[in-house]
Amino acid sequence: MKAAKFDYARPRDLAEATKLLAQGNGAAKALAGGQSLGPMLNLRLARPGLLVDISRLEELKAVSDGGDHWRIGAGVTHSRLEDAAGRMPGAEMICLVAAGIAYRSVRNRGTIGGSLAHADPAADWPLALAALGATVEIAGPKGKRRVAAQALMSGAFTTALDDAELIAGVTVPKLSAKARWGYYKFCIKPGEFPEASAAVVFDSARNAARVFIGALDGPPVALSGIAVAVAASGALPGAAEIDAAVARAAPSLDAVDRRLHAAVLSRALQQAVAP
Amino acid sequence: MKQIALTVNGRKVEAAVEPRTHLADFLREHLRLTGTHLGCEHGVCGACTIEIGGAPARSCIAFAVGCDGLEIRTIEGFDDDAVMAELREAFSAEHALQCGYCTPGMLIAARDIVARLPDADDKRIRLELAGNLCRCTGYLGIVNAIKRVLADRRKGVAAAKPATPLVSMPFVSFKSTNAASSALAAAAVPAAMETPKGGWTEMAESFTVHKPPAEVWRAFADLPMVASCLPGAELDEHDALNVNGRMRVKLGPIAASFAGAATMERDGAGMRGTIKGAGSDGGTGSRTRGEVEYALGLAPGGETRVSVTIRYSLQGPLAQFSRSGVARDLARRLIGQFAANLDAKLDPARAGASVGATQGLDVGALIWAWIREKFARLLGRPQS
Repeated sequence: MKAAKFDYARPRDLAEATKLLAQGNGAAKALAGGQSLGPMLNLRLARPGLLVDISRLEELKAVSDGGDHWRIGAGVTHSRLEDAAGRMPGAEMICLVAAGIAYRSVRNRGTIGGSLAHADPAADWPLALAALGATVEIAGPKGKRRVAAQALMSGAFTTALDDAELIAGVTVPKLSAKARWGYYKFCIKPGEFPEASAAVVFDSARNAARVFIGALDGPPVALSGIAVAVAASGALPGAAEIDAAVARAAPSLDAVDRRLHAAVLSRALQQAVAP
Repeated sequence: MKQIALTVNGRKVEAAVEPRTHLADFLREHLRLTGTHLGCEHGVCGACTIEIGGAPARSCIAFAVGCDGLEIRTIEGFDDDAVMAELREAFSAEHALQCGYCTPGMLIAARDIVARLPDADDKRIRLELAGNLCRCTGYLGIVNAIKRVLADRRKGVAAAKPATPLVSMPFVSFKSTNAASSALAAAAVPAAMETPKGGWTEMAESFTVHKPPAEVWRAFADLPMVASCLPGAELDEHDALNVNGRMRVKLGPIAASFAGAATMERDGAGMRGTIKGAGSDGGTGSRTRGEVEYALGLAPGGETRVSVTIRYSLQGPLAQFSRSGVARDLARRLIGQFAANLDAKLDPARAGASVGATQGLDVGALIWAWIREKFARLLGRPQS
């Protein structure tokens, strides 16, 4: 399968990229690592008139230590974050999540910003960054704005980005030494999108209790009741309690999927509360 | 055509390429480097794995034009590579190939494992190989070949120290006043049911319009008005019960425009109706047939409860995406948008309030939902 015809531009900087996207009037599409867009182009499901290749923009590739947070450029690949394990204190969960995305040859090209902008409901970053309380930095013709990671995605493959906007980077608060977290996903085959996923973060130093489940119909959903309960007790809730919370959070799941999501959430919580 | 200059196996190459030409086609057709094999051509099978800038990547989903200025290394470029020489020997000794189709990609993935993970065990090797499919060997020979090279290279090297287990702090209980919560779309719109029946997908939804049933019923007869409430819909021509028109669908990078016709039946006594239609999208070559049944009922406060049952079937490339949770999510948001727009049309005073009732749906995003279950599962696509 070969992609349909498109035009191609490689802007020199972010400003030129957003300008090209604005001029495209909806027919232009940003290309980052291309690991999701590439297959869609080859299958001819996506037929943009113009691809704006942002994969070489150096200004999107920085990872910097902001003291109480890490700032990760949108163009940073999953494999760079995977290989940063042990060198990004407070971002241990980020490195672990990155290492579990697809396959190494995909991680070498796919980017954190691309994954967020693509907004696949089953993808790792929308879930993990929501649980971490990250902030997404968006660049557009009118300048930059910031959106909470959990508010970026409004539905399957749909985000708060408009046609001329790009994700510039994400800011992730550092986990304190007291923080406990868990991340679990169930995939039929390693590297595929999960059937169910969950991310939990408890950081008493930041008073943060964040429990999210993913791989749903739409964006990841927060389970605040479970979060507050586990923060207070430090213990795994009962199976019935987890099941009921999942049912409330995602009422359209059938019985099998609900059990699957409940089991996956239970395992993520177990990682966080385990001694 | 775009002019590119890149380095392939140490050799400078200049060429004019179509932007849509992927790197594997460029290597095979322009440079005659046919060692790079094409299997699935959508980034799943790993047969086309090569190195871009020194790191393994899939050449079927990289475009040649995007590799301008980069260094490419294909299987032909490893003749003098020491690790690859050992892997070739080991693949031969361990019967790690049969038909050989996956082998170039396997070798490049294997070399990456040897270089990156000197202590990889059986389980890790299998995990790392998950992105390269082999239909002959059952992987045993490939795993053994990589293990053999790793073991040979470890000889004479002091055994690696086992990783120190991470010391983790005990869970400190705390009273959280900062628990993340999200506005649940499900709280605003009742749960949908979705049941596939003989190739047809069915879903049920309902919504409330803040006007009495008689008024909503009259409004439903006004086809241009109804169409204007449906994001992406355009009427070309219509009479009382027949319409020709188009429905634009935009979901992330996927865009389709279905052109077709629909007929309506209206039962005024029961305040219920049926819309049957069919259409096709020239771009993706997909065809669809669908049926919408709706019924109006009295809701508390004299408002109108609209119950909708949607049945549809889809053929062609987009069909890979039907019967889906994603479709359900989209249909739900589309109906939410429709209901909000209808409310605003019937009562301009509600225009402000109804926008907020769309659960954050970007009004500019035109949504219609014939999209896949899980892209990866049905297409076997890897995740990015």
